[in-house]
Amino acid sequence: MDYQPAILAKDLTKRFGDFTAVDHINFNVQHGEIFGFLGPNGSGKTTTIRMLLGLMKPGEGSVEVLGLKVEKDTSKIRPRVGYMSQRFSLYNDLTVLQNLNFYGQAYGLENSLLQKRIAEALHMAGLERHENTQTRDLSGGWRQRLALGAAILHRPEVLFLDEPTAGVDPLSRRAFWDLLYKLVSTPLQPETNQASLESEMREQRGVTVFITTHYMDEAEHSHRLAFIQHGKIIASGSPIEIKTQKMPGDVLEISPSDAAGAVKVLRSAQNDGKLPLNEIVLYGSLVHVIAPDILRHEQAITVILQNSGIQPGVMTVIEPSLEDVFIACMKS
Amino acid sequence: MIRRIWSLVIKEFIHLRTDWWLPAFMLLGGVTELLLVAWATSRPITNLPLMVLDYSKSAQSRALIVGLENTGTFRAAEAVDDMHEITSALEKGKINAAVIIPPDFDDMMVASNGQPTLQILLNGAESTPALEALRAVDGLARDINQRIIIQRLGLRSDEFAGFDVSLRVWFNENLSEALYTTPAELGLMLEFTVLLFAALAFSRERELGTLEQLLVMPFSSLEIIIGKSIPVVIIAITDFVLMLGMIHFAFDVPIRGSFFLLMVLALAYLLVELSKGLVISVISRTQHQAFLLVMLVGMVDFMFTGYAAPVEGMPQALQWFANLIPAHHWLYIMRSILLKGSGLNVLYPHVLALAALGLIIGTFSLRFVRRALD
Repeated sequence: MDYQPAILAKDLTKRFGDFTAVDHINFNVQHGEIFGFLGPNGSGKTTTIRMLLGLMKPGEGSVEVLGLKVEKDTSKIRPRVGYMSQRFSLYNDLTVLQNLNFYGQAYGLENSLLQKRIAEALHMAGLERHENTQTRDLSGGWRQRLALGAAILHRPEVLFLDEPTAGVDPLSRRAFWDLLYKLVSTPLQPETNQASLESEMREQRGVTVFITTHYMDEAEHSHRLAFIQHGKIIASGSPIEIKTQKMPGDVLEISPSDAAGAVKVLRSAQNDGKLPLNEIVLYGSLVHVIAPDILRHEQAITVILQNSGIQPGVMTVIEPSLEDVFIACMKS
Repeated sequence: MIRRIWSLVIKEFIHLRTDWWLPAFMLLGGVTELLLVAWATSRPITNLPLMVLDYSKSAQSRALIVGLENTGTFRAAEAVDDMHEITSALEKGKINAAVIIPPDFDDMMVASNGQPTLQILLNGAESTPALEALRAVDGLARDINQRIIIQRLGLRSDEFAGFDVSLRVWFNENLSEALYTTPAELGLMLEFTVLLFAALAFSRERELGTLEQLLVMPFSSLEIIIGKSIPVVIIAITDFVLMLGMIHFAFDVPIRGSFFLLMVLALAYLLVELSKGLVISVISRTQHQAFLLVMLVGMVDFMFTGYAAPVEGMPQALQWFANLIPAHHWLYIMRSILLKGSGLNVLYPHVLALAALGLIIGTFSLRFVRRALD
């Protein structure tokens, strides 16, 4: 059998009038990996996921999901993929159980199998005693886990998650990612009564997850990711690859007595040409300064800060966060 | 396929249970509206306010006033002394009609060659009561005329036989307005129920954002359309039977033709309106937009139902256009089955027209909606 990636996008392009929302992007997603699709709002994330799902025709280029052409074989792909968006996946006026029943039946699950899968989904989402709660009364985190549970009822091979964690508190986001990891590492077992050679093979591959987000910390959790801006992919690879290959220098973390003041002072020094720094970013009470061979400038930075009455505090060279990388990429 | 459609139908009914005002409006709104219309129009117009300015103040003039009151159309006349009071009352809309009896009324009535006159002022701003008042005064005047002629010819009343019209009304013996308005209202309510309900089918999910989720599920577009349509058809037919039962049992609107034929054609008609509603539904971004479009379409259809003004009296171009409106044919069919007991042998031109329109609108709608969903 020819090897097929789970998702393959070739020269994918979409224009709305004069505006190019997605501009010749190429990427592939391997079976069993979590692929993060990152970008600020309006960068083309949603347009891309809509084209992957066959909800929108690409202007140019093509998409294959599970080795099938999305435009041609939509009806063959649909039963094998799942889709969830945090805000819109569930019907608010249906109860938890009614939502799950609808999903299961829509995907052709029946009787005892449906009951079993629903019980598993309730367990996974931690909603076991809330079957009859109206979905609108659930908190964001629960709703999101329920939506995920609904989206995997039919044991999809590829899961599309469109900003699944938008507007959810950090703790719930963490719990959600734990769930995702579990999903990818322990493949969902299709029941024996419908096991076939094909489904056994699928099983070994595990679930593939395509997830869009604008949270940088979530990007770190992905196996591989692509960063999209103005419709173009400006960086892609594993988080480590991106950090080592795309970073135009090292990151020095400073914890000065006045972080905002320090940024101001360092920026003006940068503008005057006294300090050849690439980037000066405020991180809460910390400051990240980025430049090739940063340690050479440590002394100069200390002096400049002290001259302005700011204690430089501890300075350490750290591994760049993805946020550092993306800010650098976006500027260049 | 059946199971998937079924899951969608169940989901739609759950929406209806939580969004209870919608089915309540669909089922009770129509019945209530119809109840009011039937009630308001079931009796002839009586008790119109009337003013009389009697310059004559004679036995003859008093007899005339009593005659007017006896028609039943007017309530007891209010006597005034001044023309200004009449003008002011007409302007304020307090009265529908005023009678001015000239000073020589008595003399003219009694004199052998007298020509009695009478002035009537009507409030034309409300044309229906005005026409009713005119009819009452006309009738009374004809009676008085006949009496004067007999008197002046010196005849006995049984010796005179003038020109007399023998009137017989078919299908609505008492020319009851209710028999005309209630079937019209019933037909319209069915149209609005179906249109509105169907128009919400997709616009609602689009507004809430759930439409995409539905579209990525393994439903075919046809399955979605069928699943969305079944609840509309069930509710609309129930509504129709409720409304029909109400006007039949409470207001004696007859069902002279075949009930079965009526139901079959009602179903056919509501499928046509359903097709229109679904098109509205997929072109609307929000429920609000869908609602406004339904009002627009409904208003145009309303003009051609013959409810507001008879189609036969419209300019030729509009009469021709009326043939393109399904509601026009449907109302003709329904009135004919209810009041005249017509069968297919009489109704076939309208049934065929409805079928042809249904085929065209239905095909277009199916293709249009499927394309929008794919």
